[in-house]
Amino acid sequence: MANLSAGAIEALANGSGWNEAVLQLVNIRKIDGGSGPSRFRVMMSDGQHTLSSFMLSTQLNYMAEKNILVPNCVCVLKRQVTNMLKDGRRVVIILEIEVIKPAEEVAGKIGDPTPYSDGQSKGQQPAPVPESRPPLQQQNRNEVTRNVKRDFLKKAPSALPDTPGGSSKVVPIASLNPYQSKWTIRARVTNKSSIRTWSNSRGDGKLFSMEIVDESGEIRVTGFNQEVDKFFSLIEVGKVYYISKGSLKIANKQYTSVKNDYEMTLNGESTIIPCEDNCDVPMVQCDFVSIGDLENRDKDAIVDVIGVCKSVDEVTRLTTKSNREVSKRTLSLMDMSGKLVTVTLWGEEAEKFEGSGQPIVAIKGAKLSDFGGRSLSASFNSTMMINPDIPEAYKLRGWFDKEGHAMEGQSLTEVRGGSGRLMENWKTLADVKSEHLGHGDKADYYSCIATIVFLRKENCLYQACPSQDCNKKVVDQQNGMFRCEKCDKEFPNFKYRLILSANIADYADNQWVTCFQESAEAILGQNAAYLGQLKDSNESAFDEIFQQANFNTFIFRNRVKLETYNDESRIKATVMDVKPVDHREYSKRLIVNIRKMGAK
Amino acid sequence: MAGILDVPKPRINCSMLSQFINRAVCFVGRVEKVHPTGKMFTVMDGEGNAATVELNEPLEEELSGIVEVIGMVSNKGEIMASTYNMLREDKGVPFDLELYNEALKVIHDFPQHYPFQVAASR
Repeated sequence: MANLSAGAIEALANGSGWNEAVLQLVNIRKIDGGSGPSRFRVMMSDGQHTLSSFMLSTQLNYMAEKNILVPNCVCVLKRQVTNMLKDGRRVVIILEIEVIKPAEEVAGKIGDPTPYSDGQSKGQQPAPVPESRPPLQQQNRNEVTRNVKRDFLKKAPSALPDTPGGSSKVVPIASLNPYQSKWTIRARVTNKSSIRTWSNSRGDGKLFSMEIVDESGEIRVTGFNQEVDKFFSLIEVGKVYYISKGSLKIANKQYTSVKNDYEMTLNGESTIIPCEDNCDVPMVQCDFVSIGDLENRDKDAIVDVIGVCKSVDEVTRLTTKSNREVSKRTLSLMDMSGKLVTVTLWGEEAEKFEGSGQPIVAIKGAKLSDFGGRSLSASFNSTMMINPDIPEAYKLRGWFDKEGHAMEGQSLTEVRGGSGRLMENWKTLADVKSEHLGHGDKADYYSCIATIVFLRKENCLYQACPSQDCNKKVVDQQNGMFRCEKCDKEFPNFKYRLILSANIADYADNQWVTCFQESAEAILGQNAAYLGQLKDSNESAFDEIFQQANFNTFIFRNRVKLETYNDESRIKATVMDVKPVDHREYSKRLIVNIRKMGAK
Repeated sequence: MAGILDVPKPRINCSMLSQFINRAVCFVGRVEKVHPTGKMFTVMDGEGNAATVELNEPLEEELSGIVEVIGMVSNKGEIMASTYNMLREDKGVPFDLELYNEALKVIHDFPQHYPFQVAASR
């Protein structure tokens, strides 16, 4: 038999508070939130009194929706916060509650509780309210409920002083909602983005965002334009601040892994003040996903991970499509699941990363991609921590030193390397035709494994301008001089260059391709100059080279594009790169494909 | 010996030995221990299991690394070797035994796609 905490209702209502109050749920009512999540208003009893000004925090909505919280059940109120309204009434926000006796086991209402009236002035609200009865009635009438909701929405000066200091009342992040605007929170900044600017038809602007955490949870905060100027330089990651009067709205979960239904925007009234006493605010809130589990997550998901940096590669620089140069570095992360995943860092983070000594690396808000199977990327929104001071890090360190260091680990990211090549896009030569690659307005690139079945040795060489960077065909002036139109100069010599037309085939289809200098030399196994010489001097040796080159198999990286010459459109394929077949990689890929097909 | 060369020899690992008793097989594995007499040695497959290989004549050379054995599986699950072939470790790409094992599993999981015309019986 559960004994209710007699006196708890009074204590909660008058602000004295009560830990682990055992209460009976008398009534629960859904309040439609309009554009946001619904709220549930609850009436609780301690056997002596009832109080209907309890609100369920949105993270507990599921308890109401799943009928865990139903009238007559007995619960323990584990965590709550009491907010004061302008008229002195209190609202208790339920942050954590546990049902210790389901309704079926309770024979109706326990005791004979009466509604608690806290004796405060139940003053009329300025808004025209027909019956402003205090909401502390046993029966929750509709109109009363609406009253209470209106109070919540009202922007009235609250009991909380504007300037947070020793006397201010701090509320937990988990209790923040759009219906109350007068609050102060005390939280640590775990992640701050850089200032981003935009310029569109409606004008320009700038923004920055950050994530903050306290004991109850975390939330994402964004500041625009003037707020950027006001707050950006003030905020330091890792420090604790009192923040008040931001606006709350429904969170856009696409860009963040932060667990909160809402996100905050700083406005003209918001204040951010550094807090000196910060030892009990947690450092960071992360919901780490095991690396082995990443296979089950959808691509483009935002996740938090932690692992040992087993290996790290050198920084490389590459040029993006928008012709920006950016630094990139990949590292390999392993955790106790025995699985490895490749993580890509960009920009300054990539350059500054110090991976020696196999540190523990934690990344909050990394983006999961299906590149190579599964891989992670640190975006501008992610926070990376090296050897963080959190229990998971110590656990990993202990595990790694004992057994992890000897494990090979199984990588979720199959295709590693490929300098600068972002996507390999394996296709059969039949796919290239059936998928109409190259038919769009941009060229398509694909990789394939194919065998050379024909090489055209006629007209594979041409005479090119001897200048360093010029490869234009020169005109033979017939007087021992060769003219280059591009350089507008004449030369007594030229350099031979290759344009090799070849037919390559795989089991599915064949394809005519053009190979330029580098790829042609790789296929023929000779340089252009030597070939040119041979063609003039020793024809049978020249032919022999082509014979030898025929029927070799390579990995081709090709570019296809539809090109139009005089009303005729043809698909042109060019070999960008030729490589010997890596049989291990090929085998692994085939086995993966076979298994995938077998599973369907 | 001539007889075994004419017959298809499915590639197997240790877990499949029992299904191929009295059949000709091809077993690829890493040499573990060689018996002092030189007439017997153990090989480890890609899954980490070991099998015993018996020879007609004692070994005349050092056996190490990856070896491909062709022979008959005895009632006791041992391989009576007709011939063996040591894969050179100093040349080419190192042999990936685990990958070979994965390929083996594929061949046995999809026999309809790998019709190596296994004889109905011996």
